[in-house]
Amino acid sequence: MSFDLHRPSSLAEAVALAGLFGPGARFIAGGTDVVIQINRGKIAPAHLIDISLLPGLAGIAATAEGYAIGPLTTYRTIERHAAFQGPLSALVEAAAVVGGHQVRNIATVGGNIVNASPAADFVPPLLTLDAVLDIAGPQGDRTVALRDFITGPGKTSLGAGELVTAIRFARLAANSATAFFKEGRRKAMEISVVCVAASLTLDASGTRCVSARLAVGAAGPTALRPERAEASLAGQAAGLTSFRDAGRLAAEASSPISDVRASADHRRHLVAVLVERALTRCAERIAGARP
Amino acid sequence: MSARNFRVAGQRLPRMDGIGKVTGKHVYAADFTLAGMLFGKILRSTRAHALIRRLDTSRAAAMPGVRAVITAADIPAVRFGQAVRDTTVFALDRVLFMGHPIAAVAAVSLEIAVQALAAIDVDYEDLPAVFDMEAALKSAVLVHPEWATYKALPIIARSGNISGRARIKAGDVEAAFAGAHRVYEHRFTTALQHPGYTEPRAAVADWDANGNVTVWTGTQLPFDTQNTLAEILDLPSSRVRVIVPGIGGGFGGKLRIGVEHFAALLARKTARPVRVITTSEEELTHSYPRQATVVTLKTGVDRDGHLLARQGRIVLDCGAYAGSGPATAAIALQVLAGPYKTAALALESFAVYTNKGTSGSFRGPAGPMANFAVESQMDMIAADLGLDPLEIRLRNIVHEGDRGPSGEVLRAVSIEECLRRAAAAIGWDDRKPAPGRGKGIACGWWMTTGGSSGVYVKINPDGSATLVSGAVEIGTGAITGASQILAEELSLDLADISVTGVDTQAAPYDYGAQGSRTAFSVGNACLAAAADLRRQMFAIAAAQLDAPVEAMVLRDKHVVAGDKSISIAEVARISRLSGGGLIAHGTAISPSPAYDPGRLENHPLPAWNTPSFHAHAVDLSVDPDTGTVDIHRYVVAQDVGFAINPTYIEGQIEGGVAQGIGQALSEEIVYQDGKVMNANLTDYKMPTALDVPDIESILVECASVAGPYGAKGVGEPPCIEPPAAIANAIAAATGFWLPSLPMTAEKIARELRARRK
Ligand SMILES: Cc1cc2nc3c(=O)[nH]c(=O)nc-3n(C[C@H](O)[C@H](O)[C@H](O)COP(=O)(O)OP(=O)(O)OC[C@H]3O[C@@H](n4cnc5c(N)ncnc54)[C@H](O)[C@@H]3O)c2cc1C
Repeated sequence: MSFDLHRPSSLAEAVALAGLFGPGARFIAGGTDVVIQINRGKIAPAHLIDISLLPGLAGIAATAEGYAIGPLTTYRTIERHAAFQGPLSALVEAAAVVGGHQVRNIATVGGNIVNASPAADFVPPLLTLDAVLDIAGPQGDRTVALRDFITGPGKTSLGAGELVTAIRFARLAANSATAFFKEGRRKAMEISVVCVAASLTLDASGTRCVSARLAVGAAGPTALRPERAEASLAGQAAGLTSFRDAGRLAAEASSPISDVRASADHRRHLVAVLVERALTRCAERIAGARP
Repeated sequence: MSARNFRVAGQRLPRMDGIGKVTGKHVYAADFTLAGMLFGKILRSTRAHALIRRLDTSRAAAMPGVRAVITAADIPAVRFGQAVRDTTVFALDRVLFMGHPIAAVAAVSLEIAVQALAAIDVDYEDLPAVFDMEAALKSAVLVHPEWATYKALPIIARSGNISGRARIKAGDVEAAFAGAHRVYEHRFTTALQHPGYTEPRAAVADWDANGNVTVWTGTQLPFDTQNTLAEILDLPSSRVRVIVPGIGGGFGGKLRIGVEHFAALLARKTARPVRVITTSEEELTHSYPRQATVVTLKTGVDRDGHLLARQGRIVLDCGAYAGSGPATAAIALQVLAGPYKTAALALESFAVYTNKGTSGSFRGPAGPMANFAVESQMDMIAADLGLDPLEIRLRNIVHEGDRGPSGEVLRAVSIEECLRRAAAAIGWDDRKPAPGRGKGIACGWWMTTGGSSGVYVKINPDGSATLVSGAVEIGTGAITGASQILAEELSLDLADISVTGVDTQAAPYDYGAQGSRTAFSVGNACLAAAADLRRQMFAIAAAQLDAPVEAMVLRDKHVVAGDKSISIAEVARISRLSGGGLIAHGTAISPSPAYDPGRLENHPLPAWNTPSFHAHAVDLSVDPDTGTVDIHRYVVAQDVGFAINPTYIEGQIEGGVAQGIGQALSEEIVYQDGKVMNANLTDYKMPTALDVPDIESILVECASVAGPYGAKGVGEPPCIEPPAAIANAIAAATGFWLPSLPMTAEKIARELRARRK
């Protein structure tokens, strides 16, 4: 393997370089996906454009409507971010189970999204937050919903030379909480066999579901939002029955494969179990946060 | 032993190789570099069983930067192997498994070597293959149609795909089954497990102007590697020198030749030094992982749970070459008998060829597989008879003076103490403390590996001692342990002992870092060398002190006779002036116990030397929905005879249990139609720090007759019992035993669901 490594000092320069080299170029952020793919012969880029030093693309900012996360933000930063320790804790929970310490210190959330692995852990929590991505490119800037951005395993709607510059989502309504669960064969350094994120909003009394958003990873070609499961919860009493039904519907909505990590059957079973658990955890959190 | 007042032996002293290893100064084989060195790579088969119709290396050989391409046609036609001489360096006209070496390239860079592999053209014609070990027993497809022409150890019984069959027999099994209260029959399967050493296999070879080759390699067995290389290179062994700079773990995976021969052959062809290092993909497709097995056990008991008879069969999948398979399968027979009294035994082992990568003798070879079967079944029997699992074991275990499965008399038997202490430590009285939570226990026995050790010990004029040994410090601290014994015997401090590197040209013979023997055997050789040195020193001191030799002792680095004394340093200086310095050659060989040959058929390791005994107990929870196992506590009570350095024995126990937890719950090289489906460390799942609890070690010291200060072999046993102990705890938590390793969450969840319906 051999490639030229470029270190642009501005976003504009990065986009220009990417435009210049076209499909033979790759951005590299933390490199924890790119380097492995090069090593395993899955990709052979002639040019690597290192974006890890670009200014302004790392860190978390509070905005008028919610938050903007820079694509170069590491899992370690997410894990420790004070504003995510409350209702948005699914972000912390997902970040905390990515790889091991070394990976979390260097790998970026932008890389996780653009790599578009069906098992990407940080994608489901963002999906439940209806996150959108800001993208800069040779044709100018655009904004796209994360749901529409990931189109297949390893596939996104990113055009040649385009770069993700921010991940944005709105603040949660009152009486809301999030949760994230992941299953694999070991407790760290594990690609999800299934992962699930939930975002639940209850009514003022804390007993009835107002809305729920669910996202399931590693149970289909892309992380998916099981809409029937989500819809089934609206107006229902929050509790085991409705959560279990939602789990069953989510399992029905998923289309997992059988591979060396797990059978499709086991994955579907885990979707049901983890959706129920994530919703239960959300409800407990909302109850715990109430005065 | 404890009555003895040791200063160095038995102490928790820091290991001698510790600082170099934690500071990164230590040179491992993979670090070793020579000027002008080339990089070797191996072309491997992409078919499981096929004729090589065409092999054309001309494009690769013509590439700039490529210095040599070699195939079977370029090297001596030699078959090598331990029990059966069935192995070739490269595939001949046929590839026998995916990953089978076909050619090797040396180039000026690794990149060019990799590119050159892609430029070698191979045309295959696929042949029918056999992948299933039980099918291989009767298959018309022979992995080695020419098997009958191979040379083999005379003890090995072979036929077709069976590369070794052995038996242990005692009493009349059928009659005992007929009279039994109940007879239980179960089938167990275990998976291929990689040894998981941190350093890949690595070797650098260089030929000198006189046609001698030196190989720097991370091998566990430098002398065996020297011999095998000599055969492959068609040279007298004295022209092959093997040096072990350092070894980043081996666990049995670096016993047999790995990449040394490729480096030596490429270096010979290019007249340049060549380095070959494996990738993780090569490790997971062509190394020496723990063999997969199928074990069937039929056991008859009386009303009170006493074992009356056992019929057992283990089929062990060797892959394409026999490797350590015939001996490993035979060793399983002793484990199938267990540390139990059973009057009637009919145990049989089959090592079989299949079209898969060769497997090998990973730490405690056959131990965990056979123990998993025996100890799971003990619990199943106990449950059926309404007995406590501890109680059924106590009713059946061997005691001092009982006979083992080969008819040998057992000495220093401590299994009862191990069981009772492990059970007490885990809180056995409360075996099912909560729903979904349970405790399990398993016990076993194991050998102290035999083979001889020689050491030279030299006393230097500053009063320090140099230990020259051919034994490899594989990471266990064994050489520190042997040095503690040497220091003790010479009244020195551990800091006074230095150890030379392992070099077959200079070091006396050692059987190698295999089994559980290095501290034991090198320690015994040190005892012998120290005795000789004392004789030499006392003779010199007698003249100096004008005192009789009989009155002399070594104390605090001096030869002391009554109120007269002379320092060891002074004696060493005097010896240099008069007698060429103080040097001794100490040797040791483990004595084999007498046994009853009538009980054995074709068994290469008929009776165990200095057996050790152990019991493991575990407390865990099983998630009722996901099937995930969470281990809360893990206790090991292991009889070590005498703890030469308790810290490193605990290290051995912790590491062995971690490997055992991996085998129990997560690790498996998965084959599908001859192809490894998880040839990377993402999908081959060794446990992480979060998956392994703190391990509590209880060192039982029931002194052996043969070991230094009563020591027994300690290295292998800790990985033997974990699969069974965990299986039994899962059963306590869920009500069912999983008879198949690894016991993944998926298998557990499936069973939980099936039972809920
Ligand atoms: C040992 C190990 C364990 C792992 N464990 C997990 C795990 O548990 N869960 C999990 O989800 N993942 C895991 N991963 C995968 C990986 O760490 C994550 O996907 C990580 O978030 C990737 O980020 P990165 O910065 O390293 O991406 P890189 O490898 O640098 O890039 C990944 C892809 O994204 C593109 N890219 C990166 N940033 C941008 C941007 N701003 N705009 C446009 N394109 C961009 C790159 O061109 C490349 O195609 C693991 C990886 C390793 C090596």
